[in-house]
Amino acid sequence: MARVEKTGWLMDVYTRPQGELTCWLVSEDGQRWLLPMDFPVTFYAAGSPAALRQAWRFLQDRGVRLSRQVRRDLFHGERVVLSATLDLPGRLPETYRRLAQAFPALDYYDADLPLSVRFVAGTQAPLLGRCRFETDGQRLLGLQPLESAWEMQPSLPPLRVMEIECDADPALHPPQEIVIRCGRRCYRFPLQPLRAFVVNLQALLGTYDPDVILTRYGDTWLFPFLSEHAPFLNPNRDEQLKVEFRRERSLFAYGQALYRGAQALLFGRWHIDRCNATLFAEIGLTGALEMARVTGLGVQEAVRKSPGAGITAMQMQTALRDGVLIPAVKQQAEAARTLVSLIRYDRGGMVYQPLVGVHRQVAELDFASMYPAIMVRYNISPETLNRRDAPAGLIPRTLQPLLVKRLALKHCLHTLDRRDSRASDLKARQTALKWLLVVCFGYLGYKNARFGRVESHEAVTAISRELLLQAKENAEEMGFTVLHMYVDSLFVKREGTQNEVDFLPLVEKIQQQSGIGVSLEGVYRWLVFLPARHDRRIPVANRYFGVFEDGTLKYRGIALRRHDTCPYVAQTQLDILDCLAQADDPRQQWREAWALVNQRMRSLQRRQAAVEALQMAVKLSRDPQSFHRPSAAAQAARQLQAEGVAVRAGMRLFFWYTLQGVSVTPPGADCLDWDRYARLVFRAAAEILDPLQPVSEVRQFHLPLCR
Amino acid sequence: MGRTVPTITRQLNETEAMLQGFRRALRRGDQTLLDGLLASAHRHLAAISASGALLPFEAALLAMLIEQARQIATLEEEVGILREELIRLRDGEG
Repeated sequence: MARVEKTGWLMDVYTRPQGELTCWLVSEDGQRWLLPMDFPVTFYAAGSPAALRQAWRFLQDRGVRLSRQVRRDLFHGERVVLSATLDLPGRLPETYRRLAQAFPALDYYDADLPLSVRFVAGTQAPLLGRCRFETDGQRLLGLQPLESAWEMQPSLPPLRVMEIECDADPALHPPQEIVIRCGRRCYRFPLQPLRAFVVNLQALLGTYDPDVILTRYGDTWLFPFLSEHAPFLNPNRDEQLKVEFRRERSLFAYGQALYRGAQALLFGRWHIDRCNATLFAEIGLTGALEMARVTGLGVQEAVRKSPGAGITAMQMQTALRDGVLIPAVKQQAEAARTLVSLIRYDRGGMVYQPLVGVHRQVAELDFASMYPAIMVRYNISPETLNRRDAPAGLIPRTLQPLLVKRLALKHCLHTLDRRDSRASDLKARQTALKWLLVVCFGYLGYKNARFGRVESHEAVTAISRELLLQAKENAEEMGFTVLHMYVDSLFVKREGTQNEVDFLPLVEKIQQQSGIGVSLEGVYRWLVFLPARHDRRIPVANRYFGVFEDGTLKYRGIALRRHDTCPYVAQTQLDILDCLAQADDPRQQWREAWALVNQRMRSLQRRQAAVEALQMAVKLSRDPQSFHRPSAAAQAARQLQAEGVAVRAGMRLFFWYTLQGVSVTPPGADCLDWDRYARLVFRAAAEILDPLQPVSEVRQFHLPLCR
Repeated sequence: MGRTVPTITRQLNETEAMLQGFRRALRRGDQTLLDGLLASAHRHLAAISASGALLPFEAALLAMLIEQARQIATLEEEVGILREELIRLRDGEG
C-alpha cells in the first residue's frame, strides 16, 4: 500500500507481545487502524558515580541505549543521571525491574509511567483527539494533533457500541441467558449449549465489529468464563493479543474498605464493565471519554481507576513536557516541626456549626472548586512552598486548564435549558472533571503521591479557612446572619431579603476579596438544620434539608442519602420532604407528613410492599472472618460464602431482613421481618420530622405510632 | 484522612469521656446541667479549633461561658420587657 494521509481520532495505545507500541486509530471514513509505531522510551537512574557505572555495565548488553545526562528533579534540583533508552516500550518494565532488583539503592525516574501518558506527552496528541496521520498500511509513519485536550466542543469519533448483559448476578446464580444489543438490534441467546452461544457471539463480533463492549459482570464473570470454556474465542480486535486479566483486590482508602473486582482489558477495542467501573454510573461513556481525553489514561483504565490515578497522570504529563524527572518512588519525608506548628496547621477545612432549626429565605453561597482554585491562585505546589516569587508550580500549571474547562462547561450547562439534549453530555463531562478536581487536593497530602507534600496540603486548608472567615466577616458587616459554613460554602439570611438579587452584592464582595469565583447556589424558601440524634441541643454539620424557591429539594446527611437505606424507606422520606415542600413553612405540614408515614407503616403491616423495594445494601467493612458479632453484614457474607461466593472487604452485599435474621436471596412475604421495616420507616420519618416540633408534642405523637 | 492531630470534635468527645467520673459523682440535677454545658460548647467547634490552643478545653470553657452570657442576655431582655409591661399595667391601673 502506498503512503496515505488520513484524518481521524487517536483512540488508544498499547504494546504488542514483541514490545512494539501500537496505536488504535479511527479515520473519518470509518476505517479502524491498528498500526505499530516507532516510539523509543527512556528512563533514568541517579545515585553514586560508582553505582551508576555498575548499572551502566549491567545494561550494556541488553539492547539499551545509554548516556550520561543532567536533568531536573523537582525537589533536589539538577542531578547527574544515567539515561536508558529502549526502542521497544514493552521491554521497559522488565528491564527496569531487573535493574532495580540489582541496584536497589539507586533513585529511579520515569520508570513506571503509563505508556499512554508518555505517548500523549511526547506527541502532544491527546487520546480521543482529532489528528492527522500518515501510514503505509503496515506502520504509523507520522501523527499530528489537530485538537487539544482542552477543546470545549471536541469532535467525537463514530463509535460502535455492543452491550452484553446476563439475566442474573453470576455471584448469586449461574446466568442462563445472554442479551446482546448492537445499535438498534437486540439478540437473546441461551448460554447452553455453550458452543452455539460462542459461535453467535463470534459472528456478531465479526459483523458488527464494535469499538466498545459494555457489559454487566464482564470483568468478574463473562470474559473469565469465556477464557476458560471457549479459549479459541478472541474478543480483541487486535488478534495478536489475548484478553488481559488483572486480579481482584481490596484496599483501604479514605478510611473505608474498597473492593476492586478483577479486570478484563481488550486491545483494539474497549471493554467497560458497568458493575466494576468506579464512576461509570455517574459519568457514563461521555464522561469516561472526557476523563481519558484530559488525563491521557486509556478509556479502559480511566473508568476503572480512581480519579486520583487520573490527576497523577496529568501531573506526569506536565512533568514530562517540562523535562522534570518523575520519581518511581516518593523520596520526600515530612520535615521536622514543633508540636505547636503541628497543632496550628494540621487542620482541615472550616466547619462552622449550624444554628439548629427552621430558617426562611436562606441563601447558599459556594466557592467554585475552592481548593483547586486556591492552588492555582496562590501558586501552591510542593516546589513553591515558602517562595513568594516562585514561577507557577507544577501543580497549578496542571490544574489551571482543568479548572478553566470545568467552569466553562458548568457555565454552558447553566445557560442551557434543562430539556436541551446537550445538557446530559455536558453534565457528564463536567462531573468527570469535577472528580479530578476533588481528588487533586487530597493527592497533595497523600503520602505516596509523587508530587505531594503535606505542607502544601496544609497551606491549602489554611487559606481556605481564612477565606471562609473573611466571607463570614463580610456577610456580618452587610447585616447577614451566618447560619452555617461548611468548608467551601456558607448559608446566610437577613431580614427583608426576598430573592437572589438581594444576595448578589454579598457574592460580589466575597468574590472580589478572595479572588476566587463564588456562585449563589440558590435561595431556599425554607431550610432546616438538624441536631444530633442523641441530643437535640448539639448541632451537626452538613445535615440539613430544604426547598429552593423553584420547589427543588436539597438534602444532606439524612437516610435518603445513605447507600444502606432500602428503596422503600428512601422513597418514604422523599415523599415526606415533598409533602413538607408544599408549605411556606414545613411546620405547617407536620401532621400531614405524619399521616403519610402512618399510611406507609400500615402498608408494611399489611405486607403491601414489593420485595425488591425492601432490599438492603451494605458495604463490607472488613473480611467476613474478622467479624466478631453476627451483624447483618456478617450474616449476609457468611450466607454468600456458604454458597461458594468469594466475599471480600469492600464488596457491596445485598440482603433482606427476615424473621430468622437476613437472607441474600429474595424471601417470600411470610419470611420477611415486616416489623423491622416499619421501624426503619418510622426512624427515617422521625429523623426529619421530630426536630420541627417541641419534644413534648413529638412524644405525644409517637405513642400511637409506636404501638 | 492522614491527619496527625485529632479533630476538635474528637478531642472534645475524649475530654467528655474523661469527665465521666466527675459527672457520675454529681447529683442527677447537676448532671443534666453539666450535659447542657458540654453540649453548648459543641456550638462553637469552629472557634475552638481556630484558637489553635494546645489545650482546647480552655477555649471550650470560654465557649460555654459565651452560651451562658447569651442566656443571661436573653433573660435580661425578657425581664426588661416584663418589667416594662408590669410598669405599664401598674400605671394603667393607677
